[in-house]
Amino acid sequence: MKCKTAEKWILWSLDGRLDERRKSLLDDHLRTCPACRRLDVEYRAMMALLHESNGEAALPRFWGRLEPRLKEERKLVPLVLWERWALHAIPVFVALVVLAAALFIFTPQTREVSQSETLLIENTNPFTETKNLFEQRPPERRSMMLIFASLDEKPSARRRIP
Amino acid sequence: MDEKELVRLAQDGSTDAFEALVTKYQSKVFSMALSFTRNREAADDIAQDVFLKAYLALPKFHLKSEFGTWLYRIAVNHVKDVLRKKGRAREVSLEDVREISVADENLMEKAEMEKEAEARKGLVHKFVQGLPEKYRVIITLRDIQGLAYDEISQVLRLSQGTVDSRLHRARRLLRKKLVPYLGQEGEAHEM
Repeated sequence: MKCKTAEKWILWSLDGRLDERRKSLLDDHLRTCPACRRLDVEYRAMMALLHESNGEAALPRFWGRLEPRLKEERKLVPLVLWERWALHAIPVFVALVVLAAALFIFTPQTREVSQSETLLIENTNPFTETKNLFEQRPPERRSMMLIFASLDEKPSARRRIP
Repeated sequence: MDEKELVRLAQDGSTDAFEALVTKYQSKVFSMALSFTRNREAADDIAQDVFLKAYLALPKFHLKSEFGTWLYRIAVNHVKDVLRKKGRAREVSLEDVREISVADENLMEKAEMEKEAEARKGLVHKFVQGLPEKYRVIITLRDIQGLAYDEISQVLRLSQGTVDSRLHRARRLLRKKLVPYLGQEGEAHEM
């Protein structure tokens, strides 16, 4: 066994984490290696000193001194509750804003309905008005009315005439 | 009463339940703070602050871990903050250790005449405090406070493998520092 491994196993052994097989191998190594034996002794002494340091009792009236401070802080509890509530409220608010934005973006915009569409919706014959125009006499008057009627119409997509 | 029940009651505003939790953990928190500061008044202040912080953070504690583990996490973070603020978190290199060792030989001689055990404890603490922060914390939690590996892993949010390797390095470093003082102790153990 290498001394480096032995050192690791010594520490595991002090923690009670070394299984029987390894413990036996370590014991064999320690019997033959004075350097590791010294390490083992030093680690044990060090651990004993460290363990001695634990278990100090708190100063007297620990709770008696803590309680007034807690009462003082409790006055600020509404603020703490607000903080707690706000932590949940922020993501909810952000989600609502995103939802509103999405609705605004994806809702189809209302557009102006053309005269023909209005007639169609109202289930009116679209040719009634046109028929009246065409029946106008004399022809000059008919032409004038057609010109004015065309001004009311939206520009339609026509094939460009070169 | 079950600890989780006490925590739930404390979360609902029961002072008695919180007092029970404080009573249960005050010595552990104080002892840990003392390991870092070696000053009883400073350790007491730290312990009080830790419980105050725990009290304020209690609504955010969802019982996913043990209360003790959660409290230790608060304590360790608070101690680190305090020591950083006080500028006492100075990391000591191995070169510095020799200087400390020479200086403390006088302390050791004096201690032999007075209270040898107390002096040894003080000396060990001095060396522990001379370790880099990450090693000092892990040595304190494991070898002074006696926390289990999985508890340390949760408190420090480290994997158990990291805890193992870091603790190994910390102990090696501390042993090297303490070697001049472990000789006599070692012989006694050998016999």
